[in-house]
Amino acid sequence: MKLPETQVAVLEAASANEPRTVESLSEDLDRKPESITRAAFELADEGLLDVSESIDESVSLTEEGRTYLEDGLPEVRLYEAAIDAGGDDDPVQMGQVIGASGLEGGAVDIALSNFARKGYGGIDSGEITANPDAGGDDPEATALESIAGGDADLVTEDTLDQLERRGLIERSERTVRSVQLTDEGVTALMEGVEVAEEVDRLTSEMLTSGEWRDVEFSEYNVAADAPEIEGGRHHPLRSMAERVKDVLVGMGFSEMQGPHADAEFWINDCLFMPQDHPARTHWDQFGLDVPPMQDLPEDVRERVEAAHREGVGEDGEGYHSPWGEDMARQIDLRGHTTSLSARYLSGIAEGDLEPPQRFFSIEKAYRNDEIDSTHLLEFFQIEGWVMADDLSVRDLMGTFTEFYEQFGITDLRFKPTYNPYTEPSFELFGEHPVTGEVVEIGNSGIFRPEMLEPLDVDCDVMAWGLALERLMMLVTGAEDIRDVHGTLVDLDYLRTEEVRY
Amino acid sequence: MPTVDIDTDELRELTGYEDKSDEQLKDDLFELGLEYEGETDEGELRFEFEPDRLDRLSVEGVARSLRYHYGDSRGVHVPSTNGAEWTIEVEDVPEERPYVTGAIVRGLDFSETAFDSLIQLQEKLHATMGRKRAKGAIGVHDLTMLKGEAAVEGSRKTIRYTGVDPDEARFVPLESDAEMTPAEVIEDHHIGKEYGHLVADMDRVPAIYDSIGLFSFPPVVNGRRTEVTTGSRDLFIEMTGTDQWTIDHMLNIVCYALAARGGTIEDVRVEYETAPDEYPPELIRPDFSTTEKTVAHDDIETTLGIDLGEDEVLDLLERSGLAGEPTNDGEAAYDVTIPPYRVDVRHPVDVIDDVGRAYGFNDLEPRYPDIGTIGGRHERSRLERAVRETLVGLGFQDLLNFHMTDDEQVSGRMNLGDADGVLGANEPVRIENPYSEDYTIARSWLLPSVMQVLENNTHRSYPQDLAEVGWVAHRDDEQNTRVAESRHVAAALARHEVSFEDGKARLQALVESFDAELETPPTEHPSFIPGRAAEIVVDGDAVGVIGEVHPGVLVEHDLELPVVAFEFDVEALR
Repeated sequence: MKLPETQVAVLEAASANEPRTVESLSEDLDRKPESITRAAFELADEGLLDVSESIDESVSLTEEGRTYLEDGLPEVRLYEAAIDAGGDDDPVQMGQVIGASGLEGGAVDIALSNFARKGYGGIDSGEITANPDAGGDDPEATALESIAGGDADLVTEDTLDQLERRGLIERSERTVRSVQLTDEGVTALMEGVEVAEEVDRLTSEMLTSGEWRDVEFSEYNVAADAPEIEGGRHHPLRSMAERVKDVLVGMGFSEMQGPHADAEFWINDCLFMPQDHPARTHWDQFGLDVPPMQDLPEDVRERVEAAHREGVGEDGEGYHSPWGEDMARQIDLRGHTTSLSARYLSGIAEGDLEPPQRFFSIEKAYRNDEIDSTHLLEFFQIEGWVMADDLSVRDLMGTFTEFYEQFGITDLRFKPTYNPYTEPSFELFGEHPVTGEVVEIGNSGIFRPEMLEPLDVDCDVMAWGLALERLMMLVTGAEDIRDVHGTLVDLDYLRTEEVRY
Repeated sequence: MPTVDIDTDELRELTGYEDKSDEQLKDDLFELGLEYEGETDEGELRFEFEPDRLDRLSVEGVARSLRYHYGDSRGVHVPSTNGAEWTIEVEDVPEERPYVTGAIVRGLDFSETAFDSLIQLQEKLHATMGRKRAKGAIGVHDLTMLKGEAAVEGSRKTIRYTGVDPDEARFVPLESDAEMTPAEVIEDHHIGKEYGHLVADMDRVPAIYDSIGLFSFPPVVNGRRTEVTTGSRDLFIEMTGTDQWTIDHMLNIVCYALAARGGTIEDVRVEYETAPDEYPPELIRPDFSTTEKTVAHDDIETTLGIDLGEDEVLDLLERSGLAGEPTNDGEAAYDVTIPPYRVDVRHPVDVIDDVGRAYGFNDLEPRYPDIGTIGGRHERSRLERAVRETLVGLGFQDLLNFHMTDDEQVSGRMNLGDADGVLGANEPVRIENPYSEDYTIARSWLLPSVMQVLENNTHRSYPQDLAEVGWVAHRDDEQNTRVAESRHVAAALARHEVSFEDGKARLQALVESFDAELETPPTEHPSFIPGRAAEIVVDGDAVGVIGEVHPGVLVEHDLELPVVAFEFDVEALR
């Protein structure tokens, strides 16, 4: 019979007459108890060994227990000091006795409470008396000695309970396994057992030949460190974008796409941004050195120009600002992705839209801003809008409350603000999911008639926008956006940043 | 965003709330949308606000808003004016700056702070509505220093807005001791240097004369003769600009502020020799006429999402500093009067916004709209996601780089030279006003960004297998936007040992995942080692390039190990 090495050793060491504990085998064979146990059960499965189990209770001293064993129980020390001070005749000052006993700190309280419990004497008004008849061996002190000497069975159960309550001993139970040869085991030994070969790697040959049945696999140190590997991972900012897209799609939003380089007409004029608006005239946006846009939809252009010049509706008023087609046709890198909303609303992107609709995009926008820890020249703008008849500010609040709660941002506040293309308009503030402080988390509003009517939309549209980077920094605690986005990124960051979902 | 610096003692005096602490005032102002920004060097409190309510650019306007907020003022107030004694004759003005307006304010008794407030208001209006004086510029003069001798006995006092040859006229400008011509002011005077560009292209520059001579050179600088001091009691205010409505409303804001200081407003007659299109030849200014908006009750209720009674609406309007009256034509609607200092009310929705603010938007209960729509992602975004997933599955680290870069990164450092017709060599899209020389063009291909990431991470462990799916663009005048935009996928394997085959194996796995067929016929591309570069042909279309990166390019990027890379148009996988 061929058996793995450990099994052979256990089989040979076991006796048919008396049980042997795993511990003793482990000691004799110089192998870990776990290996012996495993081998024993494997042999039991083969019917060669019986494994029996019993419960062994052990008692051991705690550190405090060991201290008292050495120094004496505090109450005993107190009693002895009291006797020495003459406390068996007359009450003596407690301070004096404690000083003489050498007890300090918490031990004093322990001594006083047990002193009384055990009838060693009385304590009254800061004076202590000792009961002269209470001397002699303290059973708890004796028990500590017995336990330390390995004779815990000499101690009564009551005393053990008392010592455990005082935290002087620890009692534990463990399973003791013992093995004994079966008749089959004896027979196998008589017939002779050989050690099977131990192998390092499982090979396909072993599997196909069936050799794996006869080999023992060498044990690995499975707790050891493994080499680091760098699998492929998604970029954290991209993962954040994907998560936001999931949320929005789940809320019924469809995704928009469109040109990054676009005419100011779609970027600004359709949004009722006057052409002499500071953001349009002071290089806040990146102009492109290309000829002007070739085609603008003539009807939309006329209506947009009229809105700028005269406003819309009976009481409407325009901007009292110049408006020229040259500027409208100038091509820029879009300063916001609201240009996509303008394109979709106008019907030029996907044809005329009938309410209700929900649309979003998470795409790049470009601003000629100062670069710092929270601003880059390029950022991902989350842009979303809902088109329906008769939308109210309450619908806007409800929608955005729902959206931000998906990211742990609660207690949304709406600060009325001004945007050229929305009215009413709100800056959104919410509670930071980590620090709890109130932070700005977006901008929103209901698109103005001066924007919607030229685009031939005759229902309400509410919209909001925020930077994906801002949301990511809030959710992940990232502190400097320059570490996240761009060619200066540290691969170590990309390789080790926590995966979020 | 505009800011206003407020002396809180002034604010307490003007609102009549002597007991309000600075903290209370800050809270009250926050409710109006003025956010505390910090203290100025002069110990005033600076507040930032949105650029719609430009009537709050000085403490007087802020105090007025607060009084409405507290309920101490209600409805619309228009200061009364005295009849015109003075006339501005407009003749022969530069066509670039045809409009003028004006007013007289008498009986002022300026404290230092009131005087500073006027100066501040003037500067703030210049910066905002005045578009840095291009659209509207304010000149405030001490009336007693003006001599408006009538040309004909018994007629009114006049000043004259006209144009002059910049080398002809002379006057002593503010902050100067010597007579200068307008041309010299533009050349030598520090204010002239700042604003001279506004008139630099004019043959004849704007000039305002009284019977003594030139006293104002708008929009650049006033004359010293009529300089206003704290001792000035009567002011002459003139404004010139490119839009009459704009300067008239700037004037209204200034007049309201001075009326709040106890000044009496007196009309000024503006006589155009050749009247601009939409104006009669003679105007009486300031124009304190109110405007009307008709606002439907339904629209208010729909926008706010609540039911309101007529009395409530009228009350909310008055608390906003507006005045409303139910229309009597059977429709539930209001005729709403807008005071002459408001410059932000273009449409009834602006009135509804005011009603909402007065009601308190945060008192509205959010509700999730009961609107059913079906969401979904754009096909291109799904494709890009699928390509990224596949690349990550193949062991690549996904990158996210900037779209803006410069020629040297895209071309020079990639060894493109003047190569033509190879990936990356298309004419780049140039940015007219780059942030810095590192961001002058839009990237025409991705590999340069990937190489930069490798360059910046030579201290990190290898292998470094990197990939990006992203936007690229090049100049294409055939496009409506003149820019051809597309999405590429690029990947690079930087390893101590790596060869063409390793790259092709992954490229093949990627392409075949999308049920497309890959061929790699040999090609030449200066970024790659000759003989080790191939064209990427997907389903018969040449869409990109793969190869071992040229040692010259590696050394340029401080890399000390080989790199195999590929890049192609993601559309090929559709």
